[in-house]
Amino acid sequence: MSYVKIEGVSKYFGSTKVLNNISLSIEEGEFITLLGPSGCGKSTLLRAIAGLNDLSSGDIYVGDKKITHLPSKDREVGMVFQSYALFPNLNVFQNIAFGLKMEKMDKEQYTVKVEEMVELIDLKGKENMYPGQLSGGQQQRVALARALIKKPKILLLDEPLSALDAQIRRTLRNEIRLIQRKLNMTTIFVTHDQEEALTISDRIFVMNHGDIEQEGGPRSIYTSPETEFVARFIGNYNVLKKSELETTGARLVSENELFAIRPEAISIFPLAKEGHNMDETINIICEAEVVMSTVLGNVMRFDMDVKGIGITVDALNESKIHWIKNGMTVQIAIPIEECKGLRIPS
Amino acid sequence: MSHDTTKKTKGLFWHQAVIALLLIYLFLPVMATLLLSLAKEWQSELVPHHYTLQWYVEIFTDVRFISAMGRSVLVSAITVIISLMIMVPAIFVIAVYLPKWEKLLQIAVLLPFAFPPVVTAIGLIKIYSSGPIAISGTIWILVGAYFILILPFSYQSIRNSLRTIHAKDLMEAAEILGAGKITAFVQVILPNILPGILISSLLSFSLIFGEFVYANLLVGGSFETIQIYLFNKMRTGGQTASAVVITYFILIFIISGFIIKLGRWKPKEYVASTIAKGGE
Ligand SMILES: Nc1ncnc2c1ncn2[C@@H]1O[C@H](COP(=O)(O)OP(=O)(O)OP(=O)(O)O)[C@@H](O)[C@H]1O
Ligand SMILES: [Mg+2]
Repeated sequence: MSYVKIEGVSKYFGSTKVLNNISLSIEEGEFITLLGPSGCGKSTLLRAIAGLNDLSSGDIYVGDKKITHLPSKDREVGMVFQSYALFPNLNVFQNIAFGLKMEKMDKEQYTVKVEEMVELIDLKGKENMYPGQLSGGQQQRVALARALIKKPKILLLDEPLSALDAQIRRTLRNEIRLIQRKLNMTTIFVTHDQEEALTISDRIFVMNHGDIEQEGGPRSIYTSPETEFVARFIGNYNVLKKSELETTGARLVSENELFAIRPEAISIFPLAKEGHNMDETINIICEAEVVMSTVLGNVMRFDMDVKGIGITVDALNESKIHWIKNGMTVQIAIPIEECKGLRIPS
Repeated sequence: MSHDTTKKTKGLFWHQAVIALLLIYLFLPVMATLLLSLAKEWQSELVPHHYTLQWYVEIFTDVRFISAMGRSVLVSAITVIISLMIMVPAIFVIAVYLPKWEKLLQIAVLLPFAFPPVVTAIGLIKIYSSGPIAISGTIWILVGAYFILILPFSYQSIRNSLRTIHAKDLMEAAEILGAGKITAFVQVILPNILPGILISSLLSFSLIFGEFVYANLLVGGSFETIQIYLFNKMRTGGQTASAVVITYFILIFIISGFIIKLGRWKPKEYVASTIAKGGE
């Protein structure tokens, strides 16, 4: 029995359809991510769950209760905004206590809980500071604590890390995940950063133009994209038409029209050098010209030209690939099993 | 190097000279008025020889002056309060829930600039001297006119205050945390826009306090405000009028002081003092 159920949800703004008949379900304690490019409707879906947008059609259930038409304040959800939205006139303590005060809880009772929360987010000693005096990362932690203290049924996080710099993003990302596990909090996380989604989630829903294109665990999403959009968005895949793949010399037995190949699955070796254990029965082997090489840190990216078709190849940046130079003609081997057939979304 | 420095000092000198000239130009009339209000008599001398407070005593014992002051304060305060009570909720609702209508409000608010007071006043008298709302010659027609007069100022300051605090996000956050709309407004919006609102209110207050055209045309005979009193005094005696002007200046000065102080108010400073006192 799933804990959160979203059934056939659609949303129009005027005549533009922003959510297209979306259905998904989430287990209790699960951490799921809505991943997609800007404008694909992630925030709209999240805000609909929080009751900040109404829906054009469809229903939302949390733990068997239909919340589609409840006002925000009665939905028992917690939300963290991209802009933090801390109350500037209240200090850290008062911000975190706000939700409990709204429940008319006594001061003694909520003080204990707030102190626990402050401890959990590691902001002890800063209770009397005001949002304006905190760093971005600290503000975001306060926002998280403020949402968590009411023990919501679902925690909604709308790009909570996007205003922070890379270093703090990573630390805070891990902290969020730890706290979420500790409290077994059912969480919906929204981001347009695929690395963030892959590292943090139990399950990912890849969204595009108001549709869910694919759902699955991080590993399966990354290694087995089902559509061209997911392949390109999630991992810089090479996406080739059947005809293009055939010009490279492949003989494929598959009815798919489009194929995705991970850049790091392709290997490069010199023209002359034979004896590589490159089995032509499981590899497509062809000549390629190195058009451009780019250093991406621990990985080198080569843009290759194979009979007019552009193919990207990633290789670990180690000394044994330093012989590869721009303008050179090399051989590449594409494992046939890495050519993933893609479905064309309807 | 030294050449450079002299050049700089010279530049600075001109700067200061211009500012000094400007200040003299602005303050000379005020100084003259001040001297005149304190002089026993001032005929052909460069500065008066004998000083007295008699003119101040005269106006402060004049019931007409006191009641004119009172009327001005009354009409300014009523207008500002009514304006706040109507404009704060209206602008808030439009900014947060009906952003489509914002353009319309902006235009409406700027319209008063398009009509000169004299034209408006004549129109107002025509409309309100008879018919269902016959308020011509009463304080209420003045309040109505002033309400429109200060509209652009109150709109701008309230709107800016709401924008800087991202009122919509704050409302949503508060509602998700279990606050009703009104509680959210009172507890997280109002305290954050209050400084901005107070500043605009004080500005509006002094604007109305110094207004003459509407007052004279709309209620001149029946409701003597401080400006009308001053106008009448100027025809009778220069020195009493000077005392009135100086009193008026001092009042505006105090109000400006408040405005500047409030303008520097930030939650941060208010915080620092609470922390010093040991927080909550
Ligand atoms: N209040 C609104 N009125 C009209 N259109 C809207 C409104 N809110 C969102 N939209 C439109 O709906 C679409 C989806 O918006 P949404 O905010 O859900 O995108 P998103 O996936 O969260 O993008 P981002 O990553 O940039 O936050 C966008 O094209 C946007 O222009
Ligand atoms: Mg968004």
